[in-house]
Amino acid sequence: MAMPGRVAAIVWKDLLIEVRTKASFHSMLAFSALVLFVFSFAIGPDTPLLRRIAAGLLWVAIVFTGLLSLSRTYQSEEAAGGLEGLRMAPGDPRFIYLGKLAGNLLLLLALEVVLFPAAAVLFQIEMLPHALPLAGIALLGTLGISTAGTFYAALTLHLRAREIMLPLLLIPALVPPLLGAVNATQLVLDGNPFGDAALWVRLLVAYDVVFFVVCTWLFPLAVED
Amino acid sequence: MGRGASFIGWPGALALVVMAVGSFIGLFVVGADVEMGEVQRLMYVHVPAAWTAFVAFFAVFIGSVLYLVQRDERADRVAASAAEVGVVFISLTLATGMLWGKPTWGVWWTWDPRLTTTALLLAVFVGYLAVRGFADDPERRARWSAIVGILGFVQVPIVYLSVVWWRSIHQPPSSPRSVSSDILGTWMLNFAAFLLVFAWLTARRARAARLEAELETRMAYD
Amino acid sequence: MLRGIDLTVEPGTSLVLTGANGAGKTTLLRIIATLLKPSSGEGTVLGLSLADDGESIRAATGYVSARGFAYDDLTAAENLRFAARLVDRPVPDERIAEILVGVGLGDATDQTVRTFSTGMRRRLALAVLRLRPLRLALLDEPYAGLDADGVALVDRLVGELVAAGTTVILASHQSGEATRRATRALRIEQGRLVDAATPDGRAG
Repeated sequence: MAMPGRVAAIVWKDLLIEVRTKASFHSMLAFSALVLFVFSFAIGPDTPLLRRIAAGLLWVAIVFTGLLSLSRTYQSEEAAGGLEGLRMAPGDPRFIYLGKLAGNLLLLLALEVVLFPAAAVLFQIEMLPHALPLAGIALLGTLGISTAGTFYAALTLHLRAREIMLPLLLIPALVPPLLGAVNATQLVLDGNPFGDAALWVRLLVAYDVVFFVVCTWLFPLAVED
Repeated sequence: MGRGASFIGWPGALALVVMAVGSFIGLFVVGADVEMGEVQRLMYVHVPAAWTAFVAFFAVFIGSVLYLVQRDERADRVAASAAEVGVVFISLTLATGMLWGKPTWGVWWTWDPRLTTTALLLAVFVGYLAVRGFADDPERRARWSAIVGILGFVQVPIVYLSVVWWRSIHQPPSSPRSVSSDILGTWMLNFAAFLLVFAWLTARRARAARLEAELETRMAYD
Repeated sequence: MLRGIDLTVEPGTSLVLTGANGAGKTTLLRIIATLLKPSSGEGTVLGLSLADDGESIRAATGYVSARGFAYDDLTAAENLRFAARLVDRPVPDERIAEILVGVGLGDATDQTVRTFSTGMRRRLALAVLRLRPLRLALLDEPYAGLDADGVALVDRLVGELVAAGTTVILASHQSGEATRRATRALRIEQGRLVDAATPDGRAG
């Protein structure tokens, strides 16, 4: 049972650094709020229209902010001396992926705890009555984004031009969770929690499972030297 | 060298012949479409090109898996070559699809599930080739791009499914009309021609890649 | 860049690797640590295959890279505790404090590493060697950036390890007592290992 201990160690360490420096979270928060604002400015102060496309705006803000924070996934390791400090740990190197994935998931979920209410206020949407299904969709969608993102961030770590390579590889891969999360969110907000939304939730679950399995399996190959 | 060149030669010649026959049949023998007229003949390029692009994509996947399992540089070179040739076919698919869509649907682009997935497929291919372009070390280049090749292949069915569902919410998906046997026959003939072209180009490209690698090694040690 | 490396190290002895910058000392250490896969050839470390038993090799091996491995925003104690958890050796806080005093960081236990000097970072990196018993210790340029006290600390650590039966491989172009007392000295020249005279003139 050494693996869960090492996964927990990475999560604890990364959260401690995050809490101490607050570098990522505050900038992510500001950035995601700005994305919502920029969209609103670009589309115009037409509240009924904004309300109709709110789910899309919200998830685009999450994906863009996610791209920023995901690209910083291994930054603390690079500053500390590279991934090899972690790779020297005995046992399977997959604990690195699982720990980083959990950290990214927690960070993005924490952001959404603020971002969803902010969108409710900005676009005048009633979210509170749908809090539970929305939380479930947010969890599944964010898990998909983090699963693919944590993997591609490791893959592009030593590429030249990785700032552009991460979005280039990740955005096409994020089409299913984006479509699933946007449509499920919109359907729930329209008061249809058990109708078509279930279809999209199934898509999110399928994506999360497939990507989690494949990425976990391939991870050692992505970080070996 | 001579033996390799002749092996490379005959599929090319065969591809040329089959393609000439297929094009002739598609352009002059098969009747024009009842509803859509002459423009429908584009389908004799479009459909086989799309099928060939998927074959190329599958070849990249197989080459990638083989590379990661056996660490054989040949598998890497074949996968990379298939990806380059695949980009050509997928671009041809998109271009002919748009040329056909304008007179038929009145628009260059529509969010048809197959069209959208094809465009995303092109993005995955481009990502695969970009990874190769931005990696310096040959071993890392092969390993990283193989991972992209596998993940790209895995994500295509999910992407397609999600786009189909996305479209069906807004409008019912257009059901394909049944296809007559001479149309299907022409498709298959042209598909065979495109497959030969694909195999021929991929083999040539892989051979060039092998020569490049040999040259690199020789220059590194001399 | 390494070619035709053929190296056997007896258990419980120490080996010094010398060679110019870029000769391949670090590469060799990283191959032994299973961090780097050799493009060809095979090897056994601690009787275990480099290619197949990486997990077991790492379980018994300590590697102190030239750059060290510490997070700037964690304290010395937190860094050491994290290193212990990574190797499945939860170490009580008193022991952590004791180890840090032992490497001369007793006053800096709760300071973040960001405030550390180069020498203090080296000491923290070396502290990892005392977290658990090791069968193999790999030290890359252990003397770099250390004062006289620090050099003595490296010598003391290596002495302890060898006495405890640990095999120690040092890659260093600087000499200290540990390199002079090494059982064997080898130099990497143009990617090959050659016998080197130890710095005091004794044959390796």
